[in-house]
Amino acid sequence: MKKVILEGIGLCKSFPSGGELFRSLDAIIYDGDFTVVMGPSGAGKSTLLYVLSGMDSVTSGTVKYRGQPISGLSEKRMAELRAKEFGFVFQQTHLVGNLTLFENVAVAGYLAGKEPPKAVQIQTEKLLRQMGVGGAGDRLPSQVSGGEAQRAAIARAMIGVPGILFADEPTGALNRQNSQEVLNLLTGLNQRGQSILMVTHDMRAAARGNRILYLEDGEILDQLDLPPYEKASRERDERVSGWLSSLQW
Amino acid sequence: MEFKTLLLANLRRHRSGLMGISLLIFLVSLALSSVLTLWGNSSSYLGSELERAGYGTITAWTSGNTGSLLEEITALGAVERVSEQKIIHTNYSLNGQESDSEGQLILYQPEERRYRFFTGDLSGYGNPPGEIQPGTVWVSPSLVSMFGAALGDEITFPIARSGQNLTLTIAGWYEDPFMGSSMIGMKGFLISEADRQNALEILESAGIDALARDGSMLHIFAAEGGLTAADLSAEINASTSLPKFAEFVHSRETIFGFMLVLQNSFGGFLLAFAAVLLLASMAVLGHQIGSGLRQDRRNMGILKTMGLSSKGLRTVQLAQYLAAILPAMVLGLMLAPAVSAAARDMTLATTGIRVPSSLPLGLCLLALSLMLAALVIFLLWQLNKLRHVTPLDAIRGEADGMPVPVKGLPAISGSCLNGSLALRQLITGWGQYLGAVLVAALLVFFASLVGRMDCWLGPDGQGMMDAFNPADHDLGVQSFGDLTREDFEKIIQQYSGITDTYLLAMPSVTVNGVDHTANVTDQPERFHLLAGQPCTGENEIVITEFVAEDFGVGIGGTLSIGASQCIGEYTVSGIYSCANDMGATIGMSREGYLKIGSDHPNLWCWHYFLDDPSQKGDIAGALEAAYGGDVHVHENTWPGLLGIIAAMGALTAFLYGMAALFILVVTAMTSGKLLAAEQRDLAVCRAMGFTAGKLRLTFALRFGMAAAVGAITGTVLAAILADPLVSAAMRLAGISSFTSAPGPAEVLFPGTAIVILFFAFGWLTAGRIQKVRMTILAAD
Repeated sequence: MKKVILEGIGLCKSFPSGGELFRSLDAIIYDGDFTVVMGPSGAGKSTLLYVLSGMDSVTSGTVKYRGQPISGLSEKRMAELRAKEFGFVFQQTHLVGNLTLFENVAVAGYLAGKEPPKAVQIQTEKLLRQMGVGGAGDRLPSQVSGGEAQRAAIARAMIGVPGILFADEPTGALNRQNSQEVLNLLTGLNQRGQSILMVTHDMRAAARGNRILYLEDGEILDQLDLPPYEKASRERDERVSGWLSSLQW
Repeated sequence: MEFKTLLLANLRRHRSGLMGISLLIFLVSLALSSVLTLWGNSSSYLGSELERAGYGTITAWTSGNTGSLLEEITALGAVERVSEQKIIHTNYSLNGQESDSEGQLILYQPEERRYRFFTGDLSGYGNPPGEIQPGTVWVSPSLVSMFGAALGDEITFPIARSGQNLTLTIAGWYEDPFMGSSMIGMKGFLISEADRQNALEILESAGIDALARDGSMLHIFAAEGGLTAADLSAEINASTSLPKFAEFVHSRETIFGFMLVLQNSFGGFLLAFAAVLLLASMAVLGHQIGSGLRQDRRNMGILKTMGLSSKGLRTVQLAQYLAAILPAMVLGLMLAPAVSAAARDMTLATTGIRVPSSLPLGLCLLALSLMLAALVIFLLWQLNKLRHVTPLDAIRGEADGMPVPVKGLPAISGSCLNGSLALRQLITGWGQYLGAVLVAALLVFFASLVGRMDCWLGPDGQGMMDAFNPADHDLGVQSFGDLTREDFEKIIQQYSGITDTYLLAMPSVTVNGVDHTANVTDQPERFHLLAGQPCTGENEIVITEFVAEDFGVGIGGTLSIGASQCIGEYTVSGIYSCANDMGATIGMSREGYLKIGSDHPNLWCWHYFLDDPSQKGDIAGALEAAYGGDVHVHENTWPGLLGIIAAMGALTAFLYGMAALFILVVTAMTSGKLLAAEQRDLAVCRAMGFTAGKLRLTFALRFGMAAAVGAITGTVLAAILADPLVSAAMRLAGISSFTSAPGPAEVLFPGTAIVILFFAFGWLTAGRIQKVRMTILAAD
C-alpha cells in the first residue's frame, strides 16, 4: 500500500475575470513516485503544480502534505515548508543572477536549516559534482550553458533533502542532449527514493515517470501506471504514446 | 508629430520616476525661493524702516546734560542735519528676570510716525496708538522669546535707589528696526510723556542715588556725497564734545549687521542647504536618466533603425525631464511667499521685525534660471550617453547582458544570510544605488556641519557666549552704588566657593577716531587670545581680527586709542576673539586704559569663577534680592541666546525633516525600479523558502548599506571641511574663532540617522514584495 505524500481535494481555481480552470479537482501524489502531469496547452498543468506546492492559492478545496492541510498556513509556515520539504525545478532555470551556481545551491541549503552552514557547503559541492557541474560552481548562471544551469537548479532543489520535488517543464528550454541528462538526473533521484511531481508536454520525458496523469478541461481525465523507469525502452515509449493517442493528445 | 508621440509615451512610461524628480526639484525651488524671499526682503525692509525711524548715517546715544552738542555737530560741514530723540537709559526686569543690557525709555510722539505697531496676537500690523496711556509701555516682540513676555505683564525700571522704580504694563508690541532683534540685549520701550516726566522727576530728586540716566539718540546724517560713516564718526569725535557724552555710537551699516545677523546667518545656511539639495537632486536625476536609458535601450535601438537620430532622441529625453522640472520650479516659486511668511511669523518673536513676504521676482528668477541652466547642462551631459546606443547592440541587448564579476566579493554566508545577500545585491547592482550613496553623503555632510554648530553652541549656548565674551567667567557682579566686593562675596559664598576673580570694564573708546568698545581687565592674560601675546604692558592692546582688517594692522602695529581723558598710542600685542559689537572691540589692561580714561568704582564688573557653577542662578537671585537696583548681576548668558538656541533647534529639525522627505523620494524612486526589475528573483527566493519579511529586510539592508557608504564619506568630509566652512560663515556674525570638538556621539549621529532613515524607507517601500506572485515562474 503506497503512502500518500500530497493530496488535492476538491480543488477549485477560478480567476477574477470569471474564467475557471479547475472545478472540484482531486489529485493524489504518492510517496516515492515519479508522477507526471500531461495535458494540452492551457489545461492548467503548471497551475496544478503551483497549487499543490502552495505557491498559488486555490479558490476552494484543500491541499494536504503528508496528511496535514497546507492551504491555510501562514506565510512564515509556508516558507518554512518550501525551504525544508519542497524542491522546485523550473523550465527557465530561474537561478539568482548575481549568485554563483555554488551560492545558488548553498543559499537554499542555508534556508532549509537542516545542517550547519559548513555542512551545507560540503553537501553543495557534493551535489554539484553529482549533477556534473562541480567545476562550474564559481560561475554565474549567465556564464554557463542552459544544461549546466538546469543541473545546478536541480542541485538547488535537492540540497534541502525535500520530501517532494516539483519540476515544471524542466526540459522545456533545453536541447535534446541536455534534456536527456536532466531527465537522467531526475530519474536517478527517483530511483533513490525521491518523490517527484513533474509537469511536461514531452512524451519522452513523461515516459520517465511511473504514474502519468492526464489533465484536460479542469479535471484529471485518465492516468497511466507504469513500472519504475530503469532504462529507455521502445516498449515503454510506445505504451505511453498509445495511451496518449487514445486520449486524442 | 513623432516628437509629441514619443514625449507623451515617455511621460506615461516613466511617470513615477518623473514625479519623484518633480517633487525633489519642487523642494529645492521652494527652499531656494523662500530663503531668497526672506533674505531679499530683510535688507530692503530694514533699510526703509530705519529710514522711517529716523536713523542717520550714524546714531549716537548720549547721556547727561549735553549743552550745545547738537549745535556743535550740526555746524560741521560734513553733517547735513541732526535729529534728536529723547530717551532714558535704564535697566529693567521682567517676569523675574533682569536684563543684562540697559534698555531705553523712548518718548512716544505719534506725530513723528517713526514706528509700526503689531496687533496683540502678533499676527499682523495694527493701528498706531493715538497716544500711549500712562502706566503702560509698548515693547518689541523679541521680549517674548527673551523673557516670555505677554500683554499685561509688568516691566520694572529701577530709576533710583530705595525702590524708586517705574513699573509699566505691556500694552502692545511695536517694530523696532534697531533694537528689535533678540540678538541685541539693549531694548527700546515706548512710553508716554507722563511716565517720562515721572521718571525725570525721580531722577532729579534722587541725585547721586539715581540709577537711570537722561539722554538722547542723536541721528546724524552725513552731507550728500560726504564722508563714510567711519570718517564722519572720526571727524565728529575730533571736532565736537560728543566723546564726553556718547555712551555708544553705531553706524547704519553696524545696525544692519546687528539686526540681520540672525536672518543672514540662518539664511546663508538654508541657502547652502538648498544647494546641497540641488546637488542631491542632480545625483538622483543622473541615476534616473541612467536607469531610464537602460530600460529604454531596446526601444531606442528600434527608433534609431526607424531613422530617429541621437539628437532627436536626446531632445525627446530632455523635453521629458524638463516637463518634470519646470512645473515643479514654478510651483516652488509660487509657494515661496507663503512659506517665507510662515517662517517670518514663526520667528517674529526672535527677529522682532515682520519682513514682507512679497516675492523678489528678479532675484528669484535669476537664481532659478541659474539652477535651471545647471540642470540643463547636467541633463545634456548625462543624455550624451545616447550617442553610444547603436541600433543593433540595443536590440540584441548586449550592453544589458554583461555579467558583473563576483570573484573577490564577500561570500554568501550561511550564518549571516540576509546581510551577505544584501551586500552582494548592492555590490553587483551598485549603479542602482549610486543616487542613494550620493544623497546620503551630501545630507550627512550638511547634517554634520549643522551638528558641529550645535555642538559648538552647546545646550545652554556656552559656545556662543565664549565667542562673545572676551574672557570666561561664571558670574559677573557690578555695583551701581557704594557696595564693595566684600558685600557681594559674603552672599556668593553662602552658595558656593569662589575659585578665582578678575575685573572687567567695557567703556567706549575711539580707535583711530572711530567708536569701539574696549574690554578692560586687570588680568589681560584671560582674554581669548588667537595669536601673539596678552596686552600686559600699559602701552599694549589686543584687537580682534575684524579690527585688524579694518585698520590694516597686525601684531606689532600701532593704533591711537582715545577715551574720556586723552588719546594715546598703543602697540598691538595680540589678536583675540570677542564677537561683541560684531567684533568691533579691543582689549586693554587696566593700567593701559587708565592712561587715557577716568576711573570709577562703578565702571568695573567683578567676574567670578565658582566652585559650583550650578548655583549661579540662585546667587544672582540672592544678590538682586539683597541689593536691588544697586547691583547688576549677569551669568555667562544673555536672554537673546534662548532665541538663537531655539532657532538652531528649528533649523536642525527643518534640516532633518527635509532630509527625510528627500530620502523617502529617493528610496521610493530607486526601489520602484529595483522591485520591477527583480520580480523574478524575488519569486525564486520565495519559492526557495524566503519569507516576504526576510526579503523585505534584505532589500532595506541594501539601502542601509548604500547609505552607510555615503554616511561614512559625508562624515569624513565633514571632519575635514566643516570647521573651515562654518568658520567662514561665522565670520559674518563677527565670530572669528569657530572650532568644534564633537564627541563620538555627535560625530556619528548624522550618519546613523541618515542610514536609519534610508533603511526605514527602504523597508517601507519594499512592502510590494508581499505581493510578488511565484506563479510568474510558471512555464505556461
